[in-house]
Amino acid sequence: MSKLIELNHISKSFDGETVLDDISLYIRDNEFITLLGPSGCGKTTTLRMIGGFTQPDQGDVIFMGERINDVPPHKRNVNTVFQKYALFPHLNVYENVAFPLREKKVPKKEIDEKVREMLSLVMLSNFAERRVTSLSGGQQQRVAIARALISHPKVLLLDEPLGALDLKLRKDMQRELMNIQKSTGITFIFVTHDQEEALSMSDTIVVMNEGKIQQIGTPIDIYNEPKNAFVADFIGESNILDGVMLEDYKVRFAGHTFQCLDTGFGKNEAVDVVVRPEDVDIVPVDRSMLCGTVTSVTFMGVHYEIIVDIQGFKWMIQTTDFVGEGEYIGISLDPDAIHIMKKSKYSGMFGDYSCFSDEVEELTIEEEEGPAPGGDAEE
Amino acid sequence: MNKMKLSSKIYSGLIFAFLFAPIVVLLFFSFNDSKSLSVFSGFSLKWYKELFNDRNTLATVRNTVILALSATAISTVMGTAAALGIDRLRSKWYRTAMKTVNDIPMTNPDIITGISLMLMFVFVGRLFGASNSLNFWTMLAAHVTFCTPYVILQVLPKLQQMDKALPEAAMDLGCTPMGAFFKVELPEMLPGIFTGAIMAFTLSLDDFVISYFTSGTGFETLPIRIYSMTKKTVTPKMYALATIIFFVTLGLLLISNFVDNEDNKRLREMRKNRKSTYTRQDDTEENKPTSGKFKKPVAICLVIALIAGIFFFGSRSREPKVLNVYNWGEYISDGSEGSLDTIAAFESWYEDTYGEPVTVNYTTYASNEDMYNKLSSGAVSYDVVIPSDYMIARMIKEDMLEPLDFENIPNYQYINDSFHGLYYDPQDLYTVPYTYGIVGIIYDANIVDEADTGSWDLMWNEKYAGSILQYNNSRDAFGTSMYKLGIDINTTDQSEWDRAAQELIAQRPLVKSYVMDEIYNMMESGEAAVASYYAGDYFTMQEAQASHVDLKFYYPERTNFFIDAMCIPKCTQNKELAEIFINYMLSEEAGIANAEYINYASPNRNVYENETYIEDMGEEAMEILYPQLGDFSELYNAYAYRSLDSDMLDYLTTLWETVKLN
Repeated sequence: MSKLIELNHISKSFDGETVLDDISLYIRDNEFITLLGPSGCGKTTTLRMIGGFTQPDQGDVIFMGERINDVPPHKRNVNTVFQKYALFPHLNVYENVAFPLREKKVPKKEIDEKVREMLSLVMLSNFAERRVTSLSGGQQQRVAIARALISHPKVLLLDEPLGALDLKLRKDMQRELMNIQKSTGITFIFVTHDQEEALSMSDTIVVMNEGKIQQIGTPIDIYNEPKNAFVADFIGESNILDGVMLEDYKVRFAGHTFQCLDTGFGKNEAVDVVVRPEDVDIVPVDRSMLCGTVTSVTFMGVHYEIIVDIQGFKWMIQTTDFVGEGEYIGISLDPDAIHIMKKSKYSGMFGDYSCFSDEVEELTIEEEEGPAPGGDAEE
Repeated sequence: MNKMKLSSKIYSGLIFAFLFAPIVVLLFFSFNDSKSLSVFSGFSLKWYKELFNDRNTLATVRNTVILALSATAISTVMGTAAALGIDRLRSKWYRTAMKTVNDIPMTNPDIITGISLMLMFVFVGRLFGASNSLNFWTMLAAHVTFCTPYVILQVLPKLQQMDKALPEAAMDLGCTPMGAFFKVELPEMLPGIFTGAIMAFTLSLDDFVISYFTSGTGFETLPIRIYSMTKKTVTPKMYALATIIFFVTLGLLLISNFVDNEDNKRLREMRKNRKSTYTRQDDTEENKPTSGKFKKPVAICLVIALIAGIFFFGSRSREPKVLNVYNWGEYISDGSEGSLDTIAAFESWYEDTYGEPVTVNYTTYASNEDMYNKLSSGAVSYDVVIPSDYMIARMIKEDMLEPLDFENIPNYQYINDSFHGLYYDPQDLYTVPYTYGIVGIIYDANIVDEADTGSWDLMWNEKYAGSILQYNNSRDAFGTSMYKLGIDINTTDQSEWDRAAQELIAQRPLVKSYVMDEIYNMMESGEAAVASYYAGDYFTMQEAQASHVDLKFYYPERTNFFIDAMCIPKCTQNKELAEIFINYMLSEEAGIANAEYINYASPNRNVYENETYIEDMGEEAMEILYPQLGDFSELYNAYAYRSLDSDMLDYLTTLWETVKLN
């Protein structure tokens, strides 16, 4: 697998506001790559740069070894599925799909063949003559995909294409997109803020925040070995605590010293400690170093999600055993449940589960006018 | 509940009746066999036929349509471009500001727009030393000015509704930026552009106020022409024309509504579907007509309008020799009802005689004051004008007229000797009389006793209280009482005016109403029985009178005379041609045609001594039009209105108010 697209040290700002800050990234042929991050992180701008709708202030966009910074969109072998599909309302389904071929002056007969083939690929054969405005969201989505794929681009850019669909339909479309990607062999660059979508569909995930790439890796790498507190918090659920790496394989946090699998940190280096909620075991109080009171229990279907207050730090634990609210319980952590990260600018910004979202957190702080929360479990 | 519904139905019915009643009346009377607006004497397509034979009116219709099409084409392109620009402004504040600026011309009263445009054109024209800065192009510029904001208003929302990703999607799929605009953005904007174009067209088509101020020599639109017909009555041809225009406008409106509906339907669908969930089995639904279907004809119409507009532009303005004539509305024989089209006759006579073509630009005004204002703006250039006596006196005093070279007007010898040395042009240097008229009293012989007639006293006769009409115009109304009392009509003695006012106050309880043009309908229908008016107009009323009405006419002891005369203003571009035109108007053929058409008396022996003319008019008419009242020039100089000085006019206005309010 060769490098199809390279982004080298790209920066971009709009009206003095930095949107992309020295981004470097390469995309391989045949890959399903996802740009993941909260809104405003620069993922859509990155996509638009590959599409040719935005030019970088600094840095180069390389496509198959050639610099394409100044190549306009219509000369790039790249097609886009837009967020709101951007179907042409004055054309019917057939003509929307045929549009790129008509632009290329492909013979009529060939157009007809290809459009029929494409429509059947997206299961819209019976809708050829319909107005696009009379279609449902999912159908419009399929038209948009068919239209973008018909001229066999090297790369398909998808800008949050599933955002407007409901859950079940979204799952179907996810699977379909993956199948289409496999069968066509076209490189997909997919933008989303939905971490589950990213984890389930991608070969590679690029986690972005504040115009910077936080981590690039396979879904498993990213989930199991988040590089910093932001990634840990954004991908899945995490309890993030302040800790000190005493020596290799030995970390101290929450007032105790734990065995872990991590090495390569300096002696007594301050670190962030991540513990995934599903890796926490509930044990009887007498067999545990960490004990606390259950403050909330939520039934989630396959498991319960319980919040335990241990020395003021609210842990989230996912368990299949029922525990009552107000119960005093103990927890235990296996060495492989503990993941150690270097301190970063995000340290302290994400911590316990007093609140789930940053927004509510900010609101409660303002109300209480209390100190900033954080992994202050040690004291 | 039911009652509520009924009453609300009646209410909306009444509103519709109120809105459409005038149009229905107009429609109805356009099919009337006679001229009257009060008596329907049978169904006929006569006026439609007349209309299509009337070269001058058709020319103004053509002018109006050319102007409207050109203005539409230009303002549609400009408005669309402007809307695109406004839509793409980054700053929201700036965008709002632009929209507000765009609203100003629409909310601005037309009269202000009209006057300011005229001032600007005249000012700029003077800067470049142009003698007639008001012309077709200024009018076009004015129309584009007031049409463009409406186009912007229609196109802008379409742009704002449009998904901003559409042009990007098109480029992404292989379109150049230009291609994306024409293949994707333009079709999306088209309904708005189309509605805007239709609005621009209808606005331009019926604009009067702005056109009135910005029109110049030789280019007259229909609304201006109809307005200037108020000296005589508006001919029923115009009802026919108005009916046709109404239906054309209605058609355009229906089309634009249809386009808008299609568009809204699409929008609603789009919103609905964005929310609805995906169901695979809904392919049984009927295929709806695609929106693309109506776009093509729309685009074709637009292109045709554009080409037509450009074509008409091009076809104008290569005319070799032009004569600009400015006359009262309905004041020349125009070829209707089998008469001679004197303008056309002049053109062909001129070409036969001098071997080169000439084009007469014939435009019309509604009052001496309108004409005076246009001329004194200095932005127009006319070769022949036909003002009334008092206005001529003023124009001579203000050095606005050229002395005539009577060598070029040999037919002047046929002018009745009584018309020499009259007060307005004592040395006969500037004028050739065109028509004259004398005021008399018109009465309904079925109501008024023959014994009561003969003098002004009839208008003060208590027997006919509630049937008497008085002028709704101070000079003419005071005239009636001053002639009655034997006061000098041009006196500068205020007490004499007071006396006349007392007489009018005394008459007030007897007066049915104070009228101007309504006199025709009220006399024809028998609503009123006594009024004073010009002899020539009496024939018009008599012709259209209802079956139970029998109108008669007599001259009282003292009465008003007026003369309208042909003059050449200082701004003329071709004085000799103008003199040739004036001479031609005095010829037997043109003189008789005009006299018969206008129905006023002619001072031209070629006319009033002509046997055919005498026969055509009939004995009664000849007696009324050419009465033997005594020495004409003496009577005229004694009784004709002259200009009053401004103090006197102010005093008269005050007195008139007390009369009307008393």
